[in-house]
Amino acid sequence: MSKQENYDPSEIKRHMGMSAKNRISNTVIYIVLIIMSIVWLAPFVFIVLQSFRVESTWMVGYVVPKTWGLDNYINLAKTDFWHWYTNTFIMALATAVGQTVIVLCMSYTLSRFRFKMRNGLMRFMLILGMFPGMLSMIILYRLLKDLNMTQANAVPGLILVYIASSGMGYYVSKGFFDTVPKTLDEAARIDGATRAQVLWKIILPMAKPIVIYTILTAFMGPWGDFVVARYISMNTPAGMNVAVGLNSWLSADQIISRYTMFCAGGVIVAIPVTILFMCLQRYYVEGVTGGAVKG
Amino acid sequence: MASVVLKNVVKIYDNKVTAVHDFNLNIRDKEFVVFVGPSGCGKSTTLRMIAGLEEISGGTVEIDGEVVNDLQPKDRHIAMVFQNYALYPHMTVYDNMAFPLRIQKMPEDEIYERVTHAAEILGITDYLLRKPRALSGGQRQRVAIGRAMVRDSKVFLMDEPLSNLDAKLRNQMRAEIILLRKRLDTTFIYVTHDQTEAMTLGDRIVIMKDGYIMQVGSPGDVFYHPGNLFVAEFIGAPKMNTFKAELVKEDGEYYVKAFGSKLIADGKRGEDLKAKGVPGQQIILGVRPEHMFLASDGDPNAIECTLEVSEMMGSELHLHAITDDGTRLIVRVQTINLTPEQRKSLEIGKRIRVTFEGKVMHFFDAETEENILYPYIPEEV
Repeated sequence: MSKQENYDPSEIKRHMGMSAKNRISNTVIYIVLIIMSIVWLAPFVFIVLQSFRVESTWMVGYVVPKTWGLDNYINLAKTDFWHWYTNTFIMALATAVGQTVIVLCMSYTLSRFRFKMRNGLMRFMLILGMFPGMLSMIILYRLLKDLNMTQANAVPGLILVYIASSGMGYYVSKGFFDTVPKTLDEAARIDGATRAQVLWKIILPMAKPIVIYTILTAFMGPWGDFVVARYISMNTPAGMNVAVGLNSWLSADQIISRYTMFCAGGVIVAIPVTILFMCLQRYYVEGVTGGAVKG
Repeated sequence: MASVVLKNVVKIYDNKVTAVHDFNLNIRDKEFVVFVGPSGCGKSTTLRMIAGLEEISGGTVEIDGEVVNDLQPKDRHIAMVFQNYALYPHMTVYDNMAFPLRIQKMPEDEIYERVTHAAEILGITDYLLRKPRALSGGQRQRVAIGRAMVRDSKVFLMDEPLSNLDAKLRNQMRAEIILLRKRLDTTFIYVTHDQTEAMTLGDRIVIMKDGYIMQVGSPGDVFYHPGNLFVAEFIGAPKMNTFKAELVKEDGEYYVKAFGSKLIADGKRGEDLKAKGVPGQQIILGVRPEHMFLASDGDPNAIECTLEVSEMMGSELHLHAITDDGTRLIVRVQTINLTPEQRKSLEIGKRIRVTFEGKVMHFFDAETEENILYPYIPEEV
């Protein structure tokens, strides 16, 4: 006897009514989502198409290239592009490592230790975080100039800037650490672990999403930075990152010959970040929601 | 294996609340000591100070003759079992139990030996490769005990280890802890709020209230000679009946006046009263429910009361009654001894008459609530 025969007919009817309602609301939701993704994706598709166009290096009045080719990508090698790309990659990698270590240590400290001025410190950082970072740019430039870390030497200077204030981004991971029961720390400490071992062996393995989220955001900052990098490198190609470098091609005298190469550069910049996100998206979402909701 | 000595230990929290006052205790080598008391009495705080999880605000804690006040938990050579098990959720049972040994950098062969040995004793060999979340409460607690067992720790601390288990499992685990204690033969400090656990497990029981030690003694001591009214009421279930009464000395003999009845203090109690020459005074009289019984019809000194609730516990009845002046009392009656007439008379709302023997009376000072005959004298540390 099939199971379906046991269903109450009125029940089935009620379900059908609900599913009709569901269908309508789903349709609306999907339409909105489709429109949103078109708006979002259009510029990217546009840039990708431009980057494969070989018939003209200047802007044209149509979207789909008439002649396709990889010239723009190949020609990038004849410019400073790969130098900038390497600069950016080094900075993003160093920042990702440095910032993650600092943020995690900071969060663990604020979550677990009770010390004088703990609350004061947290409040102070909250207020400090309300000021736009741009405010510190002039003094940052002066300081880095004295250390000889501007213009051509901007890379180490920028790494310093990116990492310097990273402790203030402790909120999400502290929120997550707060949800890990303190008795786990206590048990581990009694089992013979030092505070550092507790963090590395007990807390972090449980906090994988948060760690990945922290690494991703730390990597993304320098990767997409324009303002600070522009300011510290001061028009010196050797010290530029890829965003500043590509932007320099948009000056009136260069744009005619480099517009499509600019697009090709943009595509290459987007590739590693896209791959990273596609692989780690799951953790990223868990990280944001896990830390935020319970924190 | 080690002694633990607490001298004048004080805990004051940051918010100026004093959780533990001047705590003095000498826990001997291989002794099983239970801290018991109502919640908020400072028993867990004291244990955590011994473990090093809580800072000691004053006084000293010595383990094996060494003052450990400023030592980190890891340097105190202790093992601890927590109420909520505190297993590492991302590790398997095996890894959980191996964790303290890996931290010590013990060779993996030896770790394997120790963990499998402990698992065998605790009957968790089949679960070694599971994660804690796939285990039941009882199994988790076994793993937690196993993790504490694999190390050669000087002192074994347990913070309400059975409180999260259901009643049946709790009884079973209690018996297993007694066996474990025999096997490990080390110093145990056990915290609980359950007086049954305290009585069954401890060599000595430390009864605490509001951060003070009320009495330290063997289960027999605290049951038969409670140092004060608090201990008398805390130990034993259902709790001791207490009445306002007057101790009268007449012609060198003692009797107690309560509810218009005259109850003669005879037996050992009478002798002790005479030996100490206790003067007549207002007292609080204590009698345990199991020491009371239904009076025979002719007894002129029986206490008249009205039966309010009758709880059938199987082998015995718990009779909750109220006297004419509003004092409530409980009587435990063995059902096997009841005649059919008596059974019939034990209906709710009926008058019953209860009494007790002179030798089971406890006398407490009406003001200080101290035991008049057997006051608790703290041991010197």
